[in-house]
Amino acid sequence: MANKWEVFVMDLGELAEGKELELTIRTLNDGLHKYTYQRAKVEVSSKLDQFADSLQVRLGRGQLSDRKFSIRVIERVERLPAQYR
Amino acid sequence: MAKISAPKNNREFIDACVASGDAVRIKQEVDWDNEAGAIVRRVCELGEAAPFMENIKDYPGFSYFGAPLSTYRRMAIALGMDPASTLPQIGAEYLKRTNSEPIAPVIVDRRDAPCKENILLGDDVDLCKLPVPLVHDGDGGRYVGTWHGVITKHPVRGDVNWGMYRQMMWDGRTMSGAVFPFSDLGKTLTDYYLPRGEGCPFATAIGLSPLAAMAACAPSPIPEPELTGMLAGEAVRLVKCETNDLEVPADAEIIIEGMILPDYKVEEGPFGEYTGYRTSPRDFRVTFRVDAITYRNNATMTISNMGVPQDEGQLLRSFSLGLELEKLLKSQGIPVTGVYMHPRSTHHMMIVGVKPTYAGIAMQIAQLAFGSKLGPWFHMVMVVDDQTDIFNWDEVYHAFCTRCNPERGIHVFKNTTGTALYPHATPHERKYSIGSKVLFDCLWPVDWDKTNDVPTVVSFKNVYPKDIQEKVVNNWADYGFRGAKK
Repeated sequence: MANKWEVFVMDLGELAEGKELELTIRTLNDGLHKYTYQRAKVEVSSKLDQFADSLQVRLGRGQLSDRKFSIRVIERVERLPAQYR
Repeated sequence: MAKISAPKNNREFIDACVASGDAVRIKQEVDWDNEAGAIVRRVCELGEAAPFMENIKDYPGFSYFGAPLSTYRRMAIALGMDPASTLPQIGAEYLKRTNSEPIAPVIVDRRDAPCKENILLGDDVDLCKLPVPLVHDGDGGRYVGTWHGVITKHPVRGDVNWGMYRQMMWDGRTMSGAVFPFSDLGKTLTDYYLPRGEGCPFATAIGLSPLAAMAACAPSPIPEPELTGMLAGEAVRLVKCETNDLEVPADAEIIIEGMILPDYKVEEGPFGEYTGYRTSPRDFRVTFRVDAITYRNNATMTISNMGVPQDEGQLLRSFSLGLELEKLLKSQGIPVTGVYMHPRSTHHMMIVGVKPTYAGIAMQIAQLAFGSKLGPWFHMVMVVDDQTDIFNWDEVYHAFCTRCNPERGIHVFKNTTGTALYPHATPHERKYSIGSKVLFDCLWPVDWDKTNDVPTVVSFKNVYPKDIQEKVVNNWADYGFRGAKK
């Protein structure tokens, strides 16, 4: 099943296409964990059928952008130091 | 002091508010995702009864209580007073109680602590098991703490702090929050924990008694457990945490325990703030790692929805900032007749009434106000004379517009402490809590001749003889007037 994600950016230029990005994204999937975050390596595309998952974008003060993307989550990145896990 | 009969916990407070018509029970299902927040926001903007939402989507058994102290009526109920009490009456009661002897808390056994009825430890810890609301659409996350207390203790001095630092759920075990460097917790972190690279134990208490919440919100030098006892007229009941040595209110609805991490930060914000804007930028902020969650059966989560006036952040903060400044100014022997912040100023303008008995008194007031611990929370001080009713905005505004000389009456203070939440500040100033302040001196200069230089106020109560005033008032209906429409 396709997943729905959301990201906050200050500038849409942060979402460069055709390269691997590391972003903090949150899930928009319905359920108890909606709006929880993870850090991940991803690839995004403005072609909505490029990847299975969708990405919604919000700007610095929470404004919803009208630009939509598709997204591929390559892998999760764990930044939390091991002693705290 | 007469026996105080104030609600001892959040549940007694809700019952009292429902009984007086100051809260409504909402039985139908409410979604934690935006709907509950929207209800609370509309309540704040309309001055409605507080919503007690008893049926939360996805979270059977939990409930919400929104806008707990966004009206003076509910503040009076929290203090055990008649809901119809006037603001000056509520203020006088607050001053009387907070000038009394501190009342130390008592430690109770965990078996007598309702907040221990459910305990989540280890892999069971997951903040998503709590009905954490998305308060405003577009917020950076679901906010665990909007009306609560973050409890910490300075490891050397032993100072206990209950502070209302907003906390966003980042994931099931992580929260991030806005902790300003000039706040009590900010100072403890920069003074002790961060230089040592040590984690700071914390406990977040949600669903506090209204007086504990009032204490957590008040910028008083009195430790909050003692201040709560003074406001309630009896000792607050505390119980030890499960995973650290902190003590938390035994009757709180929900307790979240953990550690503030010294070397790891996640993003926080944006969030709808008490100024009525989303101002402070999304940024990497103080990060709280959760080790345990305890909660009462059928726990009620309290929600404050900050935004345009008026919510409890504006109302209560204005109330306590004003009264704490009044205490400070009186302690310095300044002949103040009262201090008031209108909640609609989003606690940014302090109005001080004073007997102008010597030159420079307005400047002295401003310097004390801005230089005090209270100072970072407001940036305007307006000083009016003792003939101006500080609670009457019409009178204050008239004094400001007519007596504040544009050249001699406005004094700007540069390079002061500010907050990241100031909408008028530049992005750089917000990031580094740099502020600026202004004094509006609305006093007649003391070197003006009081007979010939000071203008006479032309008003019904000021220019007519008393007997004429009484005659006109007594005959008012006979003249054909049916009461002024405002």
